[in-house]
Amino acid sequence: MDQKFEPKIIGFLCNWCSYAGADLAGSSKMEVKPSLSVIRVMCSSRINSNLVLASLLWGADGVLVAGCHPGDCHYEQGNYYARRRFALLKKVTEILNLEPDRLQLSWISASEGKRYSEVVNKFTEDIAKAGPNPIAQNPKL
Amino acid sequence: MNGQIGVYVCECGPNIKDRIDIDKVLEDISSLENVKVAKRFPLLCSNDGKKFLEEEIAKEELTHLVVAACSPREHEQTFMTVCKQAGLNPYLFQLINIREQCAWMIPDKEQATAKAIQYIRAGIQRVAFHRPLEPKEIDSIPDVCVIGGGISGLETSLSLAGKDRRVYLVEKTDSLGGMAGKLSKLLPYQGSELSSVEAKIKQAQDNANIEIFTSSEVSDVRGFLGNFDITISSHGESSEARKIQAGAVVVTTGFGLYDPGNDSQYGLGQIDNVITALEFEEMLGKDKLLLKSGKPPKSVALIHCIGRKELGYCSKVCCLYSIKFAHRIKDMSSDMDVTELYMDLCLPHKSDQAYFDEAKEKGIRFIRSGEDVLVKNKGTQIEVEYDRDGQKDSITVDMVVLAPAMVPSEGTTALAEMLNIPLDKTGFFKEIHEILDPISTPIEGVYIAGCAVGPRNIPESIVQSQAASGKILSSLIPGKKIKPEVKVSEIREDFCTGCQTCLSICFYGAISYDPIKDVSVVNEVICRGCGSCVGSCPSGAIRSKHFTYPQLYREVLEALR
Amino acid sequence: MEESNVLVVGAGVSGMKASLMLAEAGVHVDLIEKDSLIGGQTIKFEEVYPNMECATCMVSPIQQDVLQNGNIDVHLLSEIEHVAGKAGQFKIKIHKKARYVSLVNCIGCGACYEPCPVSVDNTFEEGLCQQKAIAVACAGALPNVPAIDPEHCLRLNGKDKTCKACQEACMFDAIDYTEKDETLDIEAGSILVATGFDLFDVNKLPQYGYGKFPNVYSAMEFERLYAQNGPTQGELTLRKEKDLKAIGIIHCVGRKEMGYCSAVCCMYSAKFAHFLKHKVPEAKIFEFYTDLCIPGKSHQKFYEATREKGVDFIACEDVRVDSQKDNLQILYTDGNGKESTVDADMVILSPAMIPGKDTEQLSKILGIDCDQRGFFNSQNEQLAPVATKKEGIFVIGCAEGPKDIPDSIAQAEASVGITLSQSR
Repeated sequence: MDQKFEPKIIGFLCNWCSYAGADLAGSSKMEVKPSLSVIRVMCSSRINSNLVLASLLWGADGVLVAGCHPGDCHYEQGNYYARRRFALLKKVTEILNLEPDRLQLSWISASEGKRYSEVVNKFTEDIAKAGPNPIAQNPKL
Repeated sequence: MNGQIGVYVCECGPNIKDRIDIDKVLEDISSLENVKVAKRFPLLCSNDGKKFLEEEIAKEELTHLVVAACSPREHEQTFMTVCKQAGLNPYLFQLINIREQCAWMIPDKEQATAKAIQYIRAGIQRVAFHRPLEPKEIDSIPDVCVIGGGISGLETSLSLAGKDRRVYLVEKTDSLGGMAGKLSKLLPYQGSELSSVEAKIKQAQDNANIEIFTSSEVSDVRGFLGNFDITISSHGESSEARKIQAGAVVVTTGFGLYDPGNDSQYGLGQIDNVITALEFEEMLGKDKLLLKSGKPPKSVALIHCIGRKELGYCSKVCCLYSIKFAHRIKDMSSDMDVTELYMDLCLPHKSDQAYFDEAKEKGIRFIRSGEDVLVKNKGTQIEVEYDRDGQKDSITVDMVVLAPAMVPSEGTTALAEMLNIPLDKTGFFKEIHEILDPISTPIEGVYIAGCAVGPRNIPESIVQSQAASGKILSSLIPGKKIKPEVKVSEIREDFCTGCQTCLSICFYGAISYDPIKDVSVVNEVICRGCGSCVGSCPSGAIRSKHFTYPQLYREVLEALR
Repeated sequence: MEESNVLVVGAGVSGMKASLMLAEAGVHVDLIEKDSLIGGQTIKFEEVYPNMECATCMVSPIQQDVLQNGNIDVHLLSEIEHVAGKAGQFKIKIHKKARYVSLVNCIGCGACYEPCPVSVDNTFEEGLCQQKAIAVACAGALPNVPAIDPEHCLRLNGKDKTCKACQEACMFDAIDYTEKDETLDIEAGSILVATGFDLFDVNKLPQYGYGKFPNVYSAMEFERLYAQNGPTQGELTLRKEKDLKAIGIIHCVGRKEMGYCSAVCCMYSAKFAHFLKHKVPEAKIFEFYTDLCIPGKSHQKFYEATREKGVDFIACEDVRVDSQKDNLQILYTDGNGKESTVDADMVILSPAMIPGKDTEQLSKILGIDCDQRGFFNSQNEQLAPVATKKEGIFVIGCAEGPKDIPDSIAQAEASVGITLSQSR
């Protein structure tokens, strides 16, 4: 097959830190691979497990959840809940026979434009290497 | 969906125009079923742009507006205002970021165009599920309950009380003034005598808008910002309970002192003439500096940092008041030998060091003695042994004054539970944000000020009290309604199983449990809209009003197409 | 008397917090700032102690709120020229320098920077990098609109009156060379002075070797090296390239000269050590101090945790810096009077907080006093710390004296409390 695999990645970004960091990456004109689509939420703790699993079942080759660094959450504790939920999700991916590295949790602050671009580009590369998501199904709502 | 969505793509000068093929975007978007119109415009955030959008909303009879331009962090408010002015509910709007997170990140024009189309389509799918949201207005009571009648409580009460705002000042002991009232003198370079505390007490007592409850405590608190129901119980035989209503609560319960009697190394209670700072204040107040024998001492040692190691924090004021003691002793009798033993000299205010330098000039000795100080009997005198960088040394004195650490006042834990506010690891009340918001707690309407929050001196407590008053004066205005956050959470009773997971998750205490219906209920007045409860509900019963599951699912689904 | 307008001088955290609180109460605020951006000194830090919170994440929502608040008018490049009147009816003249770039038309695309032929030291970045004569102070500056430096711009300083490189690059008609300085007349019931601080000039203390030895840095320079949005994007690129095996941080620089402790340096120096231990884990870190001033509730725990990481805290006197071949040497006298030396590859100096350089002049214009150290004087340091001898004029934050961010914000909120309380 000649066609290069272009992964589809969903990125859930919290409004206060990681979304701001992404904006900074953009205004600093840093190149970020377009495979990741950003979904903005107010806090990483809003992301419940179903949302992540649905994304994977509907064809996301990778899911990135990004929030404020521990201690910096705009709502004080939200990112701690995200962290714990994420640890559980990683276990669930095993049950689904999905490579756990298709799920990533990253802490990105509002001043970390460069880090945002590095995280997303590396994740995109890694997912491209991992290939298409083996558990993707026909999405139906 | 019978919507009529208008999509407007901003050229943003060369920023979007040069990097994205806007015509191709419009071609694609116009083909979508629920899109009524798709147009481009040079600069939508300009006055011309805003006017254009307002006209378009009316002309095209749009039910939803989508703008593809810069980041929502930049201009979401701008375009929401445009919607409002055009008579469109501002929450039936979505701003798609095709500048910072698209045009500026993707150098290849074709790729950037494809990405922009993807984002706009996803945003259109999302906005179709937006619901109109109306801001609420809540009545509030401007009155305030201040818990603790020391200098902080007095300052807060005096600052707040007015003809349209009553203050209920509740004091546990039988008199006002707190710890400051027990001091004989304040630090001299800080400007004044204790008469200032007495003056404040009198002012509070004479103020018709302050109702004072002494020998009383708050025994019950219910409600929320603007609407607290508080029960004040008085001690004593005829213990009556009085119910009051207040819009805010300020906790100014002050501090206690560490009991050095716990540590045998200091000899308190075992060795004669070893006393605490508070006992020394009393002596100074009577102008009688005497030993147990009735004679005046010839030498005094002041030991700082008592309890510091055990408690794990510096109490900030002890170095200064120990220096104050030393000055007073020298003023009473200049040939008295005075030595201060300390771990670190904490002199953080601009005039502190000069006061310390003056003390040295008076012949007061300062020894960095480390944390291992041992107080022993030596005949009729006292020997103070200390370890200094591995070398043992000692001094012999007639009297030892211990400067104990400040600790949370008695009843702090119970009060915290009653108000549902947290304590930090030191046991003092915890600020909602140690740096940006040192007076507020996670429970809206409940503020903390003074030493109840942690060790600080009188000027700092006064500043904090005025700050708490500032918070209330600016947010709880008589006659003005409270306008809470709009994008809050709400619980669908049919799905709620009453597991109460959300109660423990909510940092702001915005969720309560209704035992009759066996469901949880969100208080929309104090909900901050973070969505933590939404994400953790096992039944999916909680909906975030502006980040609902259908909205997010549609956005994701479209992005994956 | 309803408080109708307040003038806030200085748009650092204190000024911004006070402005937002007043705006919430329905009071109109004129917030003036002498620089071309808002945020003050806090936005120069990457992290703040004791929880190592990201300063930008913390402050940028406040900056955004200030810029978008309908009750707050922000005037940048502005300073007070004259004050007349009294509490309730101050009449203030503000001198507003020309920005030469329209805050309305400019959308912050940055197309004008590259074509500018002039490069100057970037003062925000402590001279660690250069910027053009038309520039924003740093990545993420708010408002995201550049200003032209008329001293260095070739057209504006007359060296090349034909240059219009920036204007030609601008697609939004945002650049106007004909803009003039202007005078604003503002009426206000109260004035809140939140002009912040400066740092002791370490050049004045030759014993520390600043300026003489390239790898001796002042604290603010180090903050910018440390910052992700700084000139080296958080990398420790030294002036003279060297493997970082040992780093010395010297507290109390200028303390003796100024006669007071600056309250924040012990903690931020520990913050530096905390960061360095993470960034260069193999390096030895030494801290040289006179007294540890760590009075906050959680400060001591932070200090102990830093020490446990292997940072050497040395109580000493007479610290000076010398160099031996390629190494820096820190010489000091310990608690027992013994002289010792430590080798280092980099030295960071923590200087005293001093009054801002315009404090004296501003105090005369306002008709308030300065204390003997040069900070604005309170009416009563004990009972009325934010009031001044002139009714209606308050001084808050580090303009009043060295203090950390929470204490500055408490003072800001207190001044609003008094203002609102008195105006009922």
